[in-house]
Amino acid sequence: MAINLSKGQKIDLTKTNPGLSKIKVGLGWDTNKYDGGKDFDLDVSVFLTNANGKVDKETNFIFFNNKQNENGSVVHAGDNRTGEGDGDDEVIDIDLKSIPADVEKVAFTITIYEAEQRSQNFGQVSRSYVRIVNEESNVELIRFDLGEDFSVETGVVVGELYRNAGEWKFSAIGSGYKDGLAGLTRDYGLQ
Amino acid sequence: MAGINLVKGQKIDLTKGNAGLTNVVVGLGWDPAEPARGFFGVKKQANVDCDASAILLSEGGKLLNKTNLVCFHNKQNPNNSVVHSGDNLTGDGDGDDEQIKVNLKAVPADVHRVLVVVNIYDAVNRKQDFGMIKSAYIRIINGAGGSELVRFNLTDNYTGFTALICGELYRHGDEWKFAAIGEGAHAAHINQLAERYI
Repeated sequence: MAINLSKGQKIDLTKTNPGLSKIKVGLGWDTNKYDGGKDFDLDVSVFLTNANGKVDKETNFIFFNNKQNENGSVVHAGDNRTGEGDGDDEVIDIDLKSIPADVEKVAFTITIYEAEQRSQNFGQVSRSYVRIVNEESNVELIRFDLGEDFSVETGVVVGELYRNAGEWKFSAIGSGYKDGLAGLTRDYGLQ
Repeated sequence: MAGINLVKGQKIDLTKGNAGLTNVVVGLGWDPAEPARGFFGVKKQANVDCDASAILLSEGGKLLNKTNLVCFHNKQNPNNSVVHSGDNLTGDGDGDDEQIKVNLKAVPADVHRVLVVVNIYDAVNRKQDFGMIKSAYIRIINGAGGSELVRFNLTDNYTGFTALICGELYRHGDEWKFAAIGEGAHAAHINQLAERYI
């Protein structure tokens, strides 16, 4: 059974699951249930960073216009424009054993596309979560529900996978950002 | 203490930060926008009659009972925990135009959300929409003492919309929170808006 994390919690992934390499990271959310007249388009982006938390090259920034890193170890399975329906809205496929050695962290973020123009924010998003599934057995390993922490933010760092003494761990972060994807890319050293 | 000004989408704790808070008054206000000036001066316009209502919803977002629609023709829910203080026909003047009183501790356990909406009475026949309304707001006042706890000014352009979903009080665990929604909607009548939740 999956382990439910709370904000700030860190958990071992590969140590307790020997042999684990291929995982699916699923992110889901529900958007504005009221008649806003405008669609919500949430986007998952992944930042592959060095030990200092910075992205060294643009190909390590994975989003709807760059769906995988150079060696295909981190792959964005595709954009979902509405967030409707049950289950994961967007999925990232990862092969932990193939992640290049210079990548220390894999950070998962959700941002709202054109948030400012559409006057949208994470207060209008509910039931967002991230979960990690063993791709081979399809067993859910970890789940982190983001809860009610967000309001005016337009971007959220949901969590990150990181190397720790040869193993991969997952950290439930859940911190909000005010200037969406632009603010995030800046903080990760891309601009 | 001055109230906290919310922006669209923001959520805020009501009872957690205000231990003992039981009775709140939800105040709604609006003003008629300046009428368009025609060639011969000010064009005569019919009054825009805005009506505030509270739609009491279950955890799953459903209106379980018709008596859970609190509006000008059904001024309270069965146990009187949500009470509409009366219709205002014009929106003229300062202060709240309509108020809804909520006794948070007495709200029935099967009600998880108190959705507060404003619609324009007879909007379709009178060809009116929320583009003719300005300075709309929703605020929450502490029923004991009258201090303003929270305020949300609805600043979006709502032209074309005949209803306005202003905000909602909702349960979160054992506490009550308030969410600033500020979304426009289309409804010829309050019952039509309520039907979405059936």
